[in-house]
Amino acid sequence: MTVLASPPDALTVNAPKPTRSLARRRLGRTLIFVAMAIMAVIMLYPFAVMILISFKTNAQYLIGSSGTSTQTWQQINATLPIWQELWNSTVVCSLSILLILVIGVMAGFSFAKLQFRGGNVVFLAIVSAMMVPLQAILIPEFVNIAKTGLTNNYLGAVVVYAALGTPFSIFLFTTYFRRIPDELIEAGIVDGLGYWGVLWRLAMPMALPAIATVTVLQFIQIWDDLLVGLLFLQNPGERTITVGLAALAAGHTTSIPLLMAGSLVSAAPAMIVYLVFQRFLVRGLTMGIDR
Amino acid sequence: MAEIVFDQVAKVYPGGNTAVENLSLHVADGEFMVLVGPSGCGKTTALRMIAGLEEITDGTISIGGQVVNNVLPKDRDIAMVFQNYALYPQMTVGQNMGFALKIRNVPKDEIKRRVSEAAKILRLTEYLDRRPKALSGGQRQRVAMGRAIVREPQAFLMDEPLSNLDAQLRVEMRSEISRIQRLLGVATIYVTHDQTEAMTMGDRVAVMRGGVLQQVATPEDLYDHPANAFVAGFIGSPPMNLLNATLVESEGTLRARFGDQSVEVPARYRQTHRLDENLTRPLLLGVRPEDLVVANADAPGRFSATVALREALGSEILAHLNFGGEDVIVTDEAQASAPASHSTRVVARLGARAKVTVGERIDLTLNPENLHFFDAQSGETLRVSR
Repeated sequence: MTVLASPPDALTVNAPKPTRSLARRRLGRTLIFVAMAIMAVIMLYPFAVMILISFKTNAQYLIGSSGTSTQTWQQINATLPIWQELWNSTVVCSLSILLILVIGVMAGFSFAKLQFRGGNVVFLAIVSAMMVPLQAILIPEFVNIAKTGLTNNYLGAVVVYAALGTPFSIFLFTTYFRRIPDELIEAGIVDGLGYWGVLWRLAMPMALPAIATVTVLQFIQIWDDLLVGLLFLQNPGERTITVGLAALAAGHTTSIPLLMAGSLVSAAPAMIVYLVFQRFLVRGLTMGIDR
Repeated sequence: MAEIVFDQVAKVYPGGNTAVENLSLHVADGEFMVLVGPSGCGKTTALRMIAGLEEITDGTISIGGQVVNNVLPKDRDIAMVFQNYALYPQMTVGQNMGFALKIRNVPKDEIKRRVSEAAKILRLTEYLDRRPKALSGGQRQRVAMGRAIVREPQAFLMDEPLSNLDAQLRVEMRSEISRIQRLLGVATIYVTHDQTEAMTMGDRVAVMRGGVLQQVATPEDLYDHPANAFVAGFIGSPPMNLLNATLVESEGTLRARFGDQSVEVPARYRQTHRLDENLTRPLLLGVRPEDLVVANADAPGRFSATVALREALGSEILAHLNFGGEDVIVTDEAQASAPASHSTRVVARLGARAKVTVGERIDLTLNPENLHFFDAQSGETLRVSR
């Protein structure tokens, strides 16, 4: 009897352990959920306020009325050249990102796969450029760009955005291409490709997550930027949406509901791009960690 | 299809590191040549020079009679199988195999025909639409082979293509590659550090060490008549035993003395080896493990040794033996020039039923028909006629 009784005793002693650890895990998860929910509310609150205010007239907003109206949205294009500014933002963003990608892919591939004298020093110099704050180089950049007469068209801003985004892009592509085995490149060469062929037909398709990462990060950064646009896009017809909204806010009479509606329109593309590409973004940013 | 010729080829890297030195080698059309040697011996560099992936510092390489020193890899008409297969991950098996043809603007129908033909040979037909990541190691290896086959090149270059496979699959693929090579009859240069692969696959085997070609011969010739102590120690598993010995002559009989033991050397070795001019000089006596035979107590020319380790492999027993005098077994690498020199014991290959136990002292004889003599300084064989 004694012998038979001992195993259940042992079980009884061990039994509470998994239950306790399970409960602790559940509690931990609940706390994380609550913290995330609070963070989400903090993040989403401004958007909620923007949406609510944009559905009021200026008068309703000023007297604090609880009523709603679609008048602001109906008049937005008449008051603010929003479609033109959205188009300007799109052009500046697209050209800048294209330049950043082309330079980043080619330089990244060269640093990762071609051996040349001083390559590492040049790479370090480029990467260290990421640490220089925009504000520190803005004035000299403006002087240079102004001298070339590019402040009156898209090109000035495009060149500056590309210059600012390229170091990160080169860094990311170099890291990415370094992960591609040399044998794969050599297989392509033996199969009949030159280095250009290897880059465009083999390396590029493999670098799609990195391309998506650079595109999304740069899109968000350039689309939301005000400072460069404000300085380098002097022609009102070429203002980006953020510059347009800033000009509206600085006006003598500012309609806050209109400003909120414009801000919502301005934020939407960046949010859509992020939501669509966030899967690639995470993969692109964590590459190299999972080796 | 074509022959490949190395003519006094050298490769010196910036900084002065010599990878290949004065390499002259002729690979006949349809021949399966294996380059074998330890890590860093220059075998892969030699292969990469044929492919055009490494520049040639000196000498010439010809493929099909044409010097290719300054010809781009894509124009050399060779196909290469890499150690890690180097399959394009974004392409299917079929696309991988047909990629080189696509680059060369071969018509789609022709690509399809050649890919399906190669897939049939390699038993890959059902995997043509899969991506490489969905294949096993052996299947990936076959795809890499397929990519080479569809090219119908002048020569195949293979850089340790089996080293990433497990032991069983390696044995299977060994015979598979040999079968395909014989079927296609294309000159093939196969690089490996595994002497078993070299011996089982090659029509001829080129042994390299420190960038220098040591010997080129058929597997049988390499095993029976190694050109130097390095080849003797590298080829064969377990490798040849190398003993520090001295030749002494008494009453017209030649004896090889090692430690406190000695064996009689048959008189015919005087005709085939430069023994008379090496009398009383230190030399290396080479004995294959299978030429050490357990002897009866009354057998002539026997000597004794203690069993230090016994490895029963089922079909045979490997007995590691210690015997008289610590200086008997070659341990000085500079002297022996052989990997086996690191061994502190002699290994005997005994029958599966041999009754030996660790610690036991046993009597042995040497098979007098298969003795090997090498110069103690240079490691070169003393054999004059092969």
